[in-house]
Amino acid sequence: MRPTDFFRTLIAFIILVMLHYTLRPLLGWRPGPDFLVIATLLVAIRVRPGAAALIGLCVGLVSDSVDVHVFGAGALAMSMIGFTASWLKAVFFADDVLLNALFFFLGKWAFDIIYVLAGHRGDFAQMAIQLFVWSPLTAAVTALFGLVTLLILRPVLRASPT
Amino acid sequence: MPSAARAYSRRDTVLFVSCIVVALAAIQLPDRVRDPFASALRQSILAPLVSLQSDAEQSRRSWLTREVREAQRDSIALRAMSLDASLADNNRLCKLLGLGEALRWGFVPAEVLQGRGVGEEYTVVLSVGAKAGIRPFSPVVAPEGLVGMVKSVDPTMSIAIAWAHPDFRVSAMTVDTAAYGIVGAHLGSEPERYLLEMRGVTMRSNLKPGTLIVSSGLGGTFPRGIPVGTVIAEVKTSELWARTYLLRPAVSPADVSDVMVLLPARTTAGVQSVWKVGTYADSAVKSIVAAGDSLGRLQARKDSAALPRDTSGRSVMMAPVTTSPQREAKPARTPFTTPTTPAAPAAPTTTTP
Repeated sequence: MRPTDFFRTLIAFIILVMLHYTLRPLLGWRPGPDFLVIATLLVAIRVRPGAAALIGLCVGLVSDSVDVHVFGAGALAMSMIGFTASWLKAVFFADDVLLNALFFFLGKWAFDIIYVLAGHRGDFAQMAIQLFVWSPLTAAVTALFGLVTLLILRPVLRASPT
Repeated sequence: MPSAARAYSRRDTVLFVSCIVVALAAIQLPDRVRDPFASALRQSILAPLVSLQSDAEQSRRSWLTREVREAQRDSIALRAMSLDASLADNNRLCKLLGLGEALRWGFVPAEVLQGRGVGEEYTVVLSVGAKAGIRPFSPVVAPEGLVGMVKSVDPTMSIAIAWAHPDFRVSAMTVDTAAYGIVGAHLGSEPERYLLEMRGVTMRSNLKPGTLIVSSGLGGTFPRGIPVGTVIAEVKTSELWARTYLLRPAVSPADVSDVMVLLPARTTAGVQSVWKVGTYADSAVKSIVAAGDSLGRLQARKDSAALPRDTSGRSVMMAPVTTSPQREAKPARTPFTTPTTPAAPAAPTTTTP
């Protein structure tokens, strides 16, 4: 990654992390947008899979430290979706709105599935409702906000001409 | 989105597996290790994020509770507005209680039903009548002083003329009895219409502004010593053998809502001990207000002592006791009196000259 691209990606990443801790609690929606997942996915497709997993681990630890429910579950989930996103990035390289939306949607849903299963939160019924009702809703909202974020940050995230 | 795919090496796999192992280890951490670690992160590098999140949540909470806060603020404002009226009512009732305590017997408290129709500007309707012992020409007084005189009496209500009525007259004097005169309404134009005139004052009596004028007791209608007004200035008239003074009335009839009607026996006995008049009217009113306050304290002590107590020593609330609003003329059992209050004289001495 060129230094210019690195700094642009870093700026976008910081903005998204900030949004996660300002806009998300301000909205207060139960199926709220997960800007940390968006940030991890945006960075993951620009780095190698190993680095993406490491970044996901760090972001997950940050998330787990601020919101302590099951410490480590977020790190595990974020590492896995970071590595997977970086590994599958060839699929999503196209600048297509629907593909990007699907990318964010699947990423967030996968994150929730891993997070809930790793945490063993609640009984089976509650987990099912969480995974098949709330998680898709949250993933849809995250996909929507991810698209808006991509449109807004397009000048920042555009790759430098080689 | 980037278009170039990168090579996938063993190093990436190792790094990924390492991350998974670290994450799984974090999940398995015992609480005694996990909580201090998370707390240390929150207090160090994550402190700005925690602060941001806290501020955002507080902002949202403020936004959600703004309507409740507005409603609470409006309620408080409404209460504050009604508080002035309550304080005024309390002040007025304190004065009235003080007057009742000072009179002790021979009076009937009455509610004033203001007449506001044409020709009724100077008369008031009282909520008591002949059944309560009211008779025509009974003096009507307020804590501040003289209000007027009962003109006609029905069984349950009566009509009184206020001092502003053209027919109203009262024999008056200065407190030191140096000057006498007849006080009546000042029949000028507005706003002086609501002042009094003291006519027939001897030429040698030069009254200073602020001098208190009280009823003299001459004529037998009004007992001696009821504040009537205070001197404002001398009025120049064509009369060469007497002075006329403009008085500020002690009572504004428009502001009076509760009065005392003196019964004939009390009028005969006199009220000189009620308004402990000095040179100025303020002292008389203050003494009555102070009597009302002390009466309230005494009553509160009595009520508190009378409450039955449970085993823990706390007072038990009881249903309020209904009392008659009217205090009849019963010298042996006086209104607003305490057990220590001496009985009123059975045969009051006549002070009417």
